Amino acid sequence: MRVRVKNLAFAYDDFRLEVGSLDFADGRVTAIVGPNGAGKSTFLKCAASVLPAPRGSLFVDGKDLTDLRGRERARLVGYVPQEPSFTFNYTVLDFVLTGRAAFLAAFSSPSAHDVSLAEDALYYVGLNGQGGRLFLELSSGERRLVLIARALAQGPDVLLLDEPTSFLDPRHEVETMSLCRRLAEEKGKTVIVTLHNLEMAVRYSDAMVFMKGGRVVASGAPSEILREPLLREVYEIDMKIVECAGQTFFVK
Amino acid sequence: MSGSVNKGSGWLLWGAFALPVILLILSLNLGSYHIPLKEVWATIVRGPAPGAAAASPLTDIIFRIRLPRLLLALFAGAALSVSGASLQALFKNPLVFEFSLGISYGAAFGAALSLVFLGRRFPPQLSAFVFAIMAVLLVLVIAGKSVSQIVPILLSGVIVSALFQALLSFVEFFANPYALQALIFWLMGSLSQAVWKDLALTLPVIGLGIIILILLRWRLNVLSLGDGEARALGVNVKAEKALVIAAAALITAAATSVTGVINWVGLIVPHLVRMMVGVDNRKVIPLSAALGASLLIVADDIARNAAAFEIPIGILTSVVGIPLFIVLLKRSGKIWL
Amino acid sequence: MRSVERLGFVLVVGILSTLQAKASFPCVAQDRPPLVITDNLSRRVEIPGRVFRIISLEPEITRIIVALQAGDRLVGLDFFLRNQDHLFPIIYPAGRKLPVVSNQGQDLNFELALHLRPDILFSSPSEDKSTEAIEQKLRVPVVALASIGKLENLLNEIDVLGRILGREGRARELLEYFRTGIAAVHRVVGDIPEARRPRVFLSFWGSLLRTPVVYEPVEAAGGVNRAAGLIPSYLGTAAATVGVEQIIRWDPDIILIQGNYPPGERLVTVEGVLGDSRLASLKAVRSRKVNYAFGFWYWWDPALVLLETRYLARLFYPDLFPAFELEREGNEIFKKFYGVEGGITALSKVLNCHEWLRK
Repeated sequence: MRVRVKNLAFAYDDFRLEVGSLDFADGRVTAIVGPNGAGKSTFLKCAASVLPAPRGSLFVDGKDLTDLRGRERARLVGYVPQEPSFTFNYTVLDFVLTGRAAFLAAFSSPSAHDVSLAEDALYYVGLNGQGGRLFLELSSGERRLVLIARALAQGPDVLLLDEPTSFLDPRHEVETMSLCRRLAEEKGKTVIVTLHNLEMAVRYSDAMVFMKGGRVVASGAPSEILREPLLREVYEIDMKIVECAGQTFFVK
Repeated sequence: MSGSVNKGSGWLLWGAFALPVILLILSLNLGSYHIPLKEVWATIVRGPAPGAAAASPLTDIIFRIRLPRLLLALFAGAALSVSGASLQALFKNPLVFEFSLGISYGAAFGAALSLVFLGRRFPPQLSAFVFAIMAVLLVLVIAGKSVSQIVPILLSGVIVSALFQALLSFVEFFANPYALQALIFWLMGSLSQAVWKDLALTLPVIGLGIIILILLRWRLNVLSLGDGEARALGVNVKAEKALVIAAAALITAAATSVTGVINWVGLIVPHLVRMMVGVDNRKVIPLSAALGASLLIVADDIARNAAAFEIPIGILTSVVGIPLFIVLLKRSGKIWL
Repeated sequence: MRSVERLGFVLVVGILSTLQAKASFPCVAQDRPPLVITDNLSRRVEIPGRVFRIISLEPEITRIIVALQAGDRLVGLDFFLRNQDHLFPIIYPAGRKLPVVSNQGQDLNFELALHLRPDILFSSPSEDKSTEAIEQKLRVPVVALASIGKLENLLNEIDVLGRILGREGRARELLEYFRTGIAAVHRVVGDIPEARRPRVFLSFWGSLLRTPVVYEPVEAAGGVNRAAGLIPSYLGTAAATVGVEQIIRWDPDIILIQGNYPPGERLVTVEGVLGDSRLASLKAVRSRKVNYAFGFWYWWDPALVLLETRYLARLFYPDLFPAFELEREGNEIFKKFYGVEGGITALSKVLNCHEWLRK
């Protein structure tokens, strides 16, 4: 699913988000990076309709999301928050099941088919058999996986993940990002993640977008756009790009 | 695995729905006019014979006094519990129930306004509903952007409840002494005024609202994730939230306009249910209806039989519900989280 | 006569006539030693010798004060009696001009009360929270009195108020009249055995289910109040709430509904009770023995209590009191108590009570 953004604008308090034009390739992982307050999360939330009604257009596979009804939009775009805002202590399976909302009428309950899709999603993220556990008893890493499983159960081709590696230990960081890559490569999803960690971004993404102050500063393949002057402009400190053992590191 | 309602919980649900019905049938035997068991069955089988000539006290007592009252207890108990459970899920807030959102006192004020200025001929349910909705809207407006946080919405609820209580006092002030007496009596919360004429409007309305909320039970799981996430999952948050709130306000208003203010049921029953079966609303909503109905029937049995005079039922719902809550709380070691 | 004797004679006559004059106008400078009385809230209150300015927030006491012909000593009333009572303007038209010092269930207007410089204040025993506060703020004795359904208490009040106001003579007159009226009934019904007295259910205060546990006019008229002996649901009053089943279990011979409200305001009516399908099996309903009675109306009116007792006697035993006419006797009683003509006739315009015995 190609995602194209055109003239997206959103404002609240004294923050303005403006994205003139941006493309996201399908079957790829794109990392959106930038300093705090750059608008990365806001951009994702606008795209997912977590934030209501931004101005401008978001095209997924040629369809303008702002024209679609909620259910149709949710079948195209899925959102994975950093953490759920507040939750009752559902079982893992019940939690993942809520992802099926776009396929169920308001007065319906999930069918056996919905349940098996949810179980499949749990299997894919590596939580097979954990469906009966209670959500609030999971570790951060496991909760993150459950959130991704919910997005999978929702079945969209575009996945938006907000800071999927935050608060995770290194092992779970790697697991989560590997999962993102598998989603792009094995399932052909368009995966868009926001990341703080530049090393992770370079290692796991096919394309990067640098944002600052609500605007896009640069976008493209890492090998093309990653330059020290860019980093200085975006992050306002000096950073050296170091290649070592086949990986890129950023030394501040 | 609780993916769908499996066989085990199927039995639980059927059993739970049978409980209030069984309690109702048993409670038909209770009352200050002692009727032996055999007579009760004979009277029920004979049916409600119309016509004053055939009027025996037994028929009047069973069909015109006990049955409407028990049905009202069943429906009102279910209404308050389902409303509380739905609002708790919707506002992601364990301390929310129709009282804390101002619905109870809004409904009470509306009904009082109607009783005092429009007299008994006009059904108070309509006015009760209008003001119940107004109360909720007021709470949402006052809470503003912080509507998803626990403390601000409780605070708004307290303010709006206080406002309507003050307005209620205002109505009392202007009521002529006769209406005032009747009003004060009604406000204490009582099922003793259950007559078929009132129930003919109230019970179907409550039934409708409960059915809507039971149909929305899985949807509440999704809505309970919060506005942003629910929207991202494709739900029409505005419309569905409005529907839940309207249904909850409707059934609370309908119940309150006949029984007066009965507190605590909407808060305690859903918690008890969650302690027993977990937080999945597919189970919590219907079981809250069943448990709430049973609880209120039991409380009303005590209210009308324990002493020669009628004990106000609001006292009893607290006395029965709160210790139960504490016992379960100690046993499970946590609330419902 | 010799001049000294004449002077003596004149002096004696002069002194005697002055004394006589004092006796007829006792509101002028008649001191008495301070009284100590115990009120309904078990407070011992010392009443000073001179009581000329009275604020009364207790309608029953106000009515007794008027009956004792000391109405001119009232300086302040409660909201209800001055603005809402349909009887008070009939028995004391001058009351319209008195200031309102409190509202129903509201606090006293302390500033106004102080401004009126009362010597004493009478309050309702059901508002005991405010009684202490009033006494402290106004520094006048506050007495909480009400008879709550008992005839002896009502007569005691008349006696005590007579002493407080220095109107003992008038009080004695009223008590004599009252007791005679009750005795006349007692003479006829006193010997009727318990088992043959009619069982009565009273529906007061605008609800079928609220009934007074004490209402002695019923007993004085030879009936039996079914709710007698129940614990009142509302402490400090005589009111209890019962269930419909309880009424059916009692199966009273007569049902009395409080009729002291204008017909348009009555929430419980004779027609309503006769048509209530839940009550169809009661013998009172089947024999259509459902009537209005005066009942309480923000406590009692002493004249109305006497009338009520005689009226109830007529209801319970129509054959034994054939000559009773509500309007005629009522007017007589009101004339005696309040000095007004046609008191019940005027009341009837509001309550339609002249119709109560017409069936």
